Amino acid sequence: MGRSPSDLAVFIAKRLVQLIPVLIGITILTFFFTHISVVNPCNQWFPHAGAGTLANCRKMFAQPGYIQYWNYLTNLLHGNWGASVSGVAVYPAIADGVPATLELVLASLFLMIVIGIPLGVIAAQSAGRWADHLVRIFYLSGWATPTYLGAVIAAIFLAPYLGLPSHGEYSSSPPPFPQYTHMSVLDPLLSGNLAWAGDAFLHLILPAATLAFINMGIATRMTRSSMLEVIPLDYVKSARMKGLSEFWVMYKHALRNSLITTTTVLGVTAGGLLAGTVVIEEVFGWPGMGAYAYTAIGGGGNAPNYDGAIAVVAVFAVGVVVANLIADILYGILDPRVDWR
Amino acid sequence: MNASVVTVDALTIDYIVGAGRFRAVSDVSLEVPEGHVVGIVGETGCGKSTLAQAIPRLLPVPPATIGHGRIMFGDVDLVRVPIWKMPAIRGTGISMIFQEPLNSLNPAYRVYDQVAEAIQIRRVREAGRVPVDRRETPPFDYSRRPQPGAGEVLSKPIIPSGTAAQAARRAVPPHPELRDEVLDYLKLVRINDPETILDLYPHELSGGMRQRVMIAMALSEKPKLLIADEPTSALDVTIQAQVLTLMKELIEEVHTSILFISHDLGVIAETADELGVMYAGKLVEFGPVADLFENPRHPYTKALLRAAPTRYKSDGPLDSIAGSVPNLSRPPPGCRFHPRCPLAQPICKVEPGPSLVAVEGVASGHTSACFFATEVPNLP
Repeated sequence: MGRSPSDLAVFIAKRLVQLIPVLIGITILTFFFTHISVVNPCNQWFPHAGAGTLANCRKMFAQPGYIQYWNYLTNLLHGNWGASVSGVAVYPAIADGVPATLELVLASLFLMIVIGIPLGVIAAQSAGRWADHLVRIFYLSGWATPTYLGAVIAAIFLAPYLGLPSHGEYSSSPPPFPQYTHMSVLDPLLSGNLAWAGDAFLHLILPAATLAFINMGIATRMTRSSMLEVIPLDYVKSARMKGLSEFWVMYKHALRNSLITTTTVLGVTAGGLLAGTVVIEEVFGWPGMGAYAYTAIGGGGNAPNYDGAIAVVAVFAVGVVVANLIADILYGILDPRVDWR
Repeated sequence: MNASVVTVDALTIDYIVGAGRFRAVSDVSLEVPEGHVVGIVGETGCGKSTLAQAIPRLLPVPPATIGHGRIMFGDVDLVRVPIWKMPAIRGTGISMIFQEPLNSLNPAYRVYDQVAEAIQIRRVREAGRVPVDRRETPPFDYSRRPQPGAGEVLSKPIIPSGTAAQAARRAVPPHPELRDEVLDYLKLVRINDPETILDLYPHELSGGMRQRVMIAMALSEKPKLLIADEPTSALDVTIQAQVLTLMKELIEEVHTSILFISHDLGVIAETADELGVMYAGKLVEFGPVADLFENPRHPYTKALLRAAPTRYKSDGPLDSIAGSVPNLSRPPPGCRFHPRCPLAQPICKVEPGPSLVAVEGVASGHTSACFFATEVPNLP
């Protein structure tokens, strides 16, 4: 059959093994970009350091590139992800940032699914009529909006107009509960603090909606086009002939088959969503990976943080690969004709 | 004469494609008496499938438009029913078997889910009509089915709302029973190992099996009218024979009214009580099957019967009808068959063929749309 749970386990294991060469490639690229692109790195990295540190640094850079990379990689595997120029360790910052970014991305993904996909269905049902054109205008305007512009408009103009907060995770800090997960809505819920959870939820709306609006187009468009392929098929007619109402014909029978395409595309948008967080998090003061990446590459007048930049890129790469893996698993669940291979 | 389940009255359907206007069905009148099997035969493109899909309002609008005419289902004119109310008619009222069993089952759901869904729809509708406390699950018996008039069906919402809906849902028996009923229907269509088939997806079944499941699904709603749109055409010959045998047996068992569309005269001869012959969007002849085969009274029917291969005529070339099917965007003036007709007279080129009229010397109910129907027997 090729569809048993053990087949699925083998499938997942294989895909995770494929992650290793991807990660090696990603770290090589970013390592050499960050280390070769800098003129006189020691002076830049340690502008106020003493002669001893500078000498150590120059000794390190005197080694061939592959040895520098090998040293970096062994450190990485030992859990030493390096530190910023000012000596702040990379790993704890990333460990705190990942859940916050994950929360933001999942919230956007949720909006893309519950708004973007039904919009695609509506567009397909009314193909060529005014609702279709309205939906197209909506998703194309999201598509055409540069992230920095959309984020700034949302934060400066929409936020006061809608009365929504536009900075940070909570209205005041520090929060009076332990941050087990570093997810702003989940932490207060775990502590039973509903007021803070509501506050965190309000803070999540604008950044998540902006990120979703900008990335939603592809989901809507793919849903529309695959629905247009499915709707004329006989099984949609036979669902109608059962006496099902048009709503169930569309959402139970037609959409179920269209989702197979949409899911794959949603996996691909993971890269766009993660890239979008760099600007969105910086603008909305969201303490996640994106904001960390922004400062690591020297945004906002900060000193560049090369170890941090490499780590962020590697974590984003893992995110993209895992998102596509999840999309492929869902694809197999949605389409019973797919074998796990 | 039995009361009729569906009466099509002067129905005209156009397809508007770009600037062109194709009259796929023109002025067709037809009646399916209760418990009868009415066959419609004709060449590809003669409008028979359009007619079949127009009755449950399944045609996509646009490009199709119903120009004029009525489709009386009980006391309701389906042409006038708003499209969003049609689900109340479909299923328990009119059910359908499609041509391509490969495409007519949803690839994403198991056989059980698809058949059970149809049964659930019927049960909810039945439960919505019968007082809950007096309701019992009827034993599996096809002849005993409570069927209201279409007007009553229409007056009920698709799924009853409010407390009525809750009562109706509570009254719908839980799954084990549903499973039994699904099994009953799979057995009805002679599926040998229904327990296994239940959990399979359509792509795991052969074409013949899928068509059996499709038939089970259509019958499980206990429709007043079953439309079979070329149910055997897409199957290979041996499977075709099996499914045809099944259809014939089911027609005996189920006593439902059937509109049977086919391009195969042999299939129609074995199943139908009455037969209508369509040519270029028009119904050219209608009558009891045996009489129509014995005494065709339209030159097209005669030519069609001569062109059909029979076991008595296995050698020599098959007869064919000279000329080709007219382009429906620019049909020939007068009678549409006249360019190919051996009996054509000057009048046929100007006057459209008469509407179906009774012919002398044949069985009652046998009608033809030819000016010279009485001369047809003289044709070779």
